[in-house]
Amino acid sequence: MAGIFKPPGAFTITPHKVSVCILLQIYAPPAQNSVPFPFSSVSQHNRFGLFLLVLTKSCDDILEPKLDELITQLREIGGLLNHWLSDHLTRRLSSLSSPDDLFNFFSDLRGILGGPDSSVVDDDQIILDPNSNLGMFLRRCLLAFNLLSFEGVCHLLSNIGKYCKEALSSCPTYELPRSDDSANNLEALLEYENMDLENFVFEKVTEEIEAKKRATERVSFHNHAPKALFGLVEDIEVSAGMNLTQSDKLREGRTFVHPSNDTLGSVDPPGGVFLRTNWQIQGYLLKQADAIEKHGSSFPLNAFESILKQLQKLAPELHRVHFLRYLNGLYHDDYPAALENLHRYFDYSAGTEGFEFVPPSSSGCNSFGRYEIALLCLGMMHFHFGHPKQALEVLTEAVRVSQQHSDDTCLAYTLTAICNLLSEVGISSTTGILGSSYSPVTRIGTSLSIQQQLFVLLRRSVKRAESLKLKRLVASNHLAMAKFDLTHVQRPLLSFGPKASMKLRTCPANVLKELRCSSHIISDFGSESSIMTTDGAFSTAWVKNLLKPMGSLVFSQENGSASNSDPFHFCAQPSSIPGSVLQLAGSSYLVRATAWEIYGSAPLSRLNALVYATCFADSSSSADLALAYAKFIQHLAVFKGYKEAFSALKIAEEKFLSVSKSRILLLKLQLLHERALHRGHLKLAQQLCDELGVLASSVTGVDMKLKTESSLRHARTLLAANQFSQAAAVAHSLFCMCYKFNLQVENATVLLLLAEIHKRSGNAVLGIPYALASLSFCQSFNLDLLKASATLTLAELWLSLGSNHVERASTLIHGAFPMILGHGGVELRARAYIAEAKCYLSDPSFSVFEDPEVVLDSLKQASEELQVLEYHELASQAFYLMTIIFDKLGQLEEREEAAASFKKHMIALENPQDEGDPFIML
Amino acid sequence: PVPPNGFMQKEREVYAEVYNQNATVSASTERERREKSMGTKEICRSELRSAIRQLSDRCLYSASKWAAEQLVGIEQDPAKFTSSHTRFQRGSSSIRRRFRTNEITSTPMAGVSYVSTPVPEEDNEAVDSDFYLLAKSYFDCREYRRAAHVLRDQTGKKAVFLRCYALYLAGEKRKEEEMIELEGPLGKSDAVNRELVSLERELSTLRKNGMIDPFGLFLYGLVLKEKGSENLACTVLVESVNSYPWNWNAWSELQSLCTTIETLNSLNLNNHWMKDFFLASAYQELRMHNESLAKYEYLHGTFSFSNYIQAQIAKAQYSLREFEQVEVIFEELLRNDPYRVEDMDMYSNVLYAKECFSALSYLAHRVFLTDKYRPESCCIIGNYYSLKGQHEKSVMYFRRALKLNKNYLSAWTLLGHEYVEMKNTPAAVDAYRRAVDINPCDYRAWYGLGQAYEMMGMPFYALHYFRKSVFLQPSDSRLWIAMAQCYETEQLHILEEAIKCYKRAVNCNDREAIALHQLAKLHGELGRSEEAAFYYKKDLERMEAEEREGPNMVEALLFLATHCKAQKRFEEAEVYCTRLLDYTGPEKETAKSLLRGMRIAESGFPSMDVEHFPP
Repeated sequence: MAGIFKPPGAFTITPHKVSVCILLQIYAPPAQNSVPFPFSSVSQHNRFGLFLLVLTKSCDDILEPKLDELITQLREIGGLLNHWLSDHLTRRLSSLSSPDDLFNFFSDLRGILGGPDSSVVDDDQIILDPNSNLGMFLRRCLLAFNLLSFEGVCHLLSNIGKYCKEALSSCPTYELPRSDDSANNLEALLEYENMDLENFVFEKVTEEIEAKKRATERVSFHNHAPKALFGLVEDIEVSAGMNLTQSDKLREGRTFVHPSNDTLGSVDPPGGVFLRTNWQIQGYLLKQADAIEKHGSSFPLNAFESILKQLQKLAPELHRVHFLRYLNGLYHDDYPAALENLHRYFDYSAGTEGFEFVPPSSSGCNSFGRYEIALLCLGMMHFHFGHPKQALEVLTEAVRVSQQHSDDTCLAYTLTAICNLLSEVGISSTTGILGSSYSPVTRIGTSLSIQQQLFVLLRRSVKRAESLKLKRLVASNHLAMAKFDLTHVQRPLLSFGPKASMKLRTCPANVLKELRCSSHIISDFGSESSIMTTDGAFSTAWVKNLLKPMGSLVFSQENGSASNSDPFHFCAQPSSIPGSVLQLAGSSYLVRATAWEIYGSAPLSRLNALVYATCFADSSSSADLALAYAKFIQHLAVFKGYKEAFSALKIAEEKFLSVSKSRILLLKLQLLHERALHRGHLKLAQQLCDELGVLASSVTGVDMKLKTESSLRHARTLLAANQFSQAAAVAHSLFCMCYKFNLQVENATVLLLLAEIHKRSGNAVLGIPYALASLSFCQSFNLDLLKASATLTLAELWLSLGSNHVERASTLIHGAFPMILGHGGVELRARAYIAEAKCYLSDPSFSVFEDPEVVLDSLKQASEELQVLEYHELASQAFYLMTIIFDKLGQLEEREEAAASFKKHMIALENPQDEGDPFIML
Repeated sequence: PVPPNGFMQKEREVYAEVYNQNATVSASTERERREKSMGTKEICRSELRSAIRQLSDRCLYSASKWAAEQLVGIEQDPAKFTSSHTRFQRGSSSIRRRFRTNEITSTPMAGVSYVSTPVPEEDNEAVDSDFYLLAKSYFDCREYRRAAHVLRDQTGKKAVFLRCYALYLAGEKRKEEEMIELEGPLGKSDAVNRELVSLERELSTLRKNGMIDPFGLFLYGLVLKEKGSENLACTVLVESVNSYPWNWNAWSELQSLCTTIETLNSLNLNNHWMKDFFLASAYQELRMHNESLAKYEYLHGTFSFSNYIQAQIAKAQYSLREFEQVEVIFEELLRNDPYRVEDMDMYSNVLYAKECFSALSYLAHRVFLTDKYRPESCCIIGNYYSLKGQHEKSVMYFRRALKLNKNYLSAWTLLGHEYVEMKNTPAAVDAYRRAVDINPCDYRAWYGLGQAYEMMGMPFYALHYFRKSVFLQPSDSRLWIAMAQCYETEQLHILEEAIKCYKRAVNCNDREAIALHQLAKLHGELGRSEEAAFYYKKDLERMEAEEREGPNMVEALLFLATHCKAQKRFEEAEVYCTRLLDYTGPEKETAKSLLRGMRIAESGFPSMDVEHFPP
């Protein structure tokens, strides 16, 4: 009890295990030939052995299969043998009618085990190696039986009775996966009736079942059926939906019925419910935890919750269940439930049951319990729910407690969590948030800015993780470091003393170095043997492998050569690299893609996203995958126009349908806003922009990216509506916010926007300093594409100052052209072409008559691309210029054509409603 | 021992008479009212008498025990009985009378018209009754299955009830045995009463056919509750108590289903005096102690010598932390009923709180001799050892109590306290958590959890638990103070929140007077001298009122003196300074120099600013 190390659950003997023992006896009968009696070939025998192995190791559910489920599985595996096998099994089970039968059965079982020197035995005889998996299982069963008291034996006996009876009574209700099995089923039923079981009970039960069936039929035909019934029906559907995710072909029929049985049986628990062994359940829970983290909110909440509740009822001392309930609550944004279950879990287990479990004997300090993990989890929970202040308080406490208990591992994790918190959440200054002198953040020195503190913390936690050999942590710290390097200029940490000369630029080489370091993890784990894989995950993979190529197809052919390849398939072990490692490696590719996006290399960004989507899609969480998809779609929108982007978006939306508040929704709003702006549909643009803003949390410092994005878009909408002063005001306040929270990269964009606003309002002189400032930001953060676009804006500003600045402008444009044409999107290229044409046209030394193609070519290019983008304003500009040129050249036909296009775009711009609602278009 | 029909008839006539009288109660005189009250008592008495017979005839022993206790609890008419009959009751209640505050007792039962509930007739078939007698004697020997078997073909309502009840108890007995046999490593406790399914089926058909009596309904409700269909259980139990209100077992099952006040209010109950007992106990469980106390005081008018009511009043008073009264009540109870073990654990808690070593040891010895394997007894002994500071032994006895009753709430909490004393915080946390999971409204356990985490240096984590505890018991100043101290810790140092908590504590009548002082101090630390002075003054007033002295007094005086001087209220400052002069220590010197400074400021340079002469 209380605070004392709890030993893992012992191995208890259950009717299912007795069944497996009976099957083992069939597999290895004492003193037989190489192929024992019922089997016709070696491969069939082997297959049966593999099936038994899977039975002893499988952990895809908390409960052991019932007899009829086992028989169904046997039917799948046994082919022609299935009658014999299931007959034998049921007959043998029902023959166990007194305690003495059980004693005899188990003493017989001992015979099939080999002695300690099993190598001496003849080749012909099949004897289980006591150290093999099956042998171990048998030995454990024998030991467990021998340890039973007489009461225990009686219980086992009555349980076996129930186990058999239940199979009988439930047979008609279970819909078997194959319709052609119904005949067998009937036969089986007839056979059951010959057995000396209480027939009247059976009849009674079937009657009842039929009555129930009738009742449910009535429900389906009349809508005014009581609500409770509908609730039940819905419940069943939920659980069925969950089981589809397991994609077990064979188990589909079984698992469909099984959880529904539980939900129905919550009032009346079925008699014969037997838990699997402790480690099998732990494996199951571990797998489910991974699944929750991977699927996020699309994981079925209620179905899993009911399973957990049942498990909790059956095994109240298994406290991991509370942790799973916490996870379930966390990923479904159920704050109270998550909080409650987190506290409950750590109250009961003191963190000694959780991940990275270290038995207390190995390190003496642990007799105290590992409450620092509780703090770490609580901190991460607050972080997840967007409570940065509480998260920081709790994590600070976690640092203190883990220092007290000298728990270095937890300390390393906590520091990493703090780093993540600081880098994700905008905090302008630590004072006021951390009132304590213990805080790891303030202790570094209050003179440093948050960014410098974060840098120091990151470096420390990388070192700490490396010295503790926590590979995953090292990798994720490198990732965090890369993210930091990407957006931060290194500054000297000392504010006094001799200063090393430092270039105030970010260092892309550093970023890539860190990224490479972080993806080393995969090779670390790849070379290692699979110690890290839990037994549970491993064995379920086996089940899948066994079930996938199966069906009775292979067996019904019944020729040895055909099924020969199968064992190899079974032995093909799953990848030894755990999912979390793959996830980390995958996210390093995502960061790479983002980095290239920021640096302005579209192809490289796309390449990395593509690598991610192809190699890591299986292991990655759905949120990350959605991000990768979003990157592709954005790329499409920028380079191919909206039509293609929207059709891609539609596919992505279907895929990530259930993910609420997802990247996809965000992307949709972004694209719609962009398109509305281009089409001149300003009201809609404003509406979309507001919707975007609502997605962000109202807490200061949380969802900074979203907030900057929405106000940036707000300013752009105002600009498009020619409300220059308002747009400038919004942009200014945005700049202030970015400055306060150190969002330097965003600052470059905001400054560029300000320059644009001044350009459009006709104050070119005011715009130039902003453009220059933006340029210098771009330079120091290596934002090459943004730099090109800033250069373009600068050129346009110079151009609007008069014809004597034309030369400067055209030099600027020509300087930026390589970058723009290589990596820029459609819009940017078109803008550059138009600006170039304008330069030529306003150059007094340039004559259209001499070389009209120089201008016309670029204008034609621009107008084509802008039409794809439906950017009416810019397109009309291009056509206007073309009209003038054609007019000058005297090419009247072309002039009229260009003028018509110009008119068309102007009308479209002025009457944006005519084009129909883009929502409907979707 | 079944009364003949004629007797029942007569009894019913008495009812009608009394109820008619009740209708015209407004015009009645005091004498009439007295008579009526005697009449009401007479009714209760006769109702209880027949109920006891019926209940024990159906082997509902605890209900019949309860009814018998109430029967003896009714004050006898002094005119009819000699003093030898009432001596046992009289002498003892004098002590309690001292504590009686309101004279609500003089007007019992008047003004409330109760629904008359006919006492059910007995089916009295001679053939059955022989079998019934055999079955009942088997039942009395705890051979339940045998009893059920004897009655297998009987169709009388009584026989059917006893058969079902015997089966139910047989199932319960087997379940308890299985619980011990099956206790697996994962604490698997899925042992169920195997009779429930068949019982439910049978009883529901009986109910559908209208062939069920109130006792059967009670059993049906019990079965439904065990099976988890609580709403139906509620309905069935209400039916049962409405048709036969004297079965206390049914009421207490119903009460355990009323977990919220809304459920309680939604019950459609007939007005019977048993309903008052029910409401009183339900209020108590819902932590509406004052309402519950009022009900019990009211019932006490009729059942003035009921030990049960006394114990329940004591329970309510205990929850209101009126330890003196609780002690007196229990002393009296023990005198009347020296072999009582029920509720004595609460008495031991009071004695523990008052540190009465010898009384506690006496109590422990007494219950030990009476029945040492009762959870209450173990708990009392545990308390005794805890008071003695022998925590290991105390833990042993609390664990024994828990072995006897796994859901014994207060034992889990007390076990937690012991582990805290032994500095085994993880174990304490575990014990408290179990208490909380048994009853999430146990604010003591939440508080204990908070304390344990605070001890481990996790104040922020502890706050969650303190919050839970103050949510459940917002009127307890100790909880607010604990929470405030948590906010005040060096690690958190969130003083604004601490101030809020202390303010709540002050409003809750903080007995130890920590809150006022802390409020003053915190405001002083935050540089809000006005507020600080306000609270110091309040604290000072309180200390004067309670005649307490101590360092807090000196601190308050010193602060007020300097504050008033800074505000140039020299007269006030002088008063404080002179009071300070009564104390020894450095403060005395400071006061002297303050006084000197003020005098110089007043006399010598009246026009000059005081600040030029720092004290």
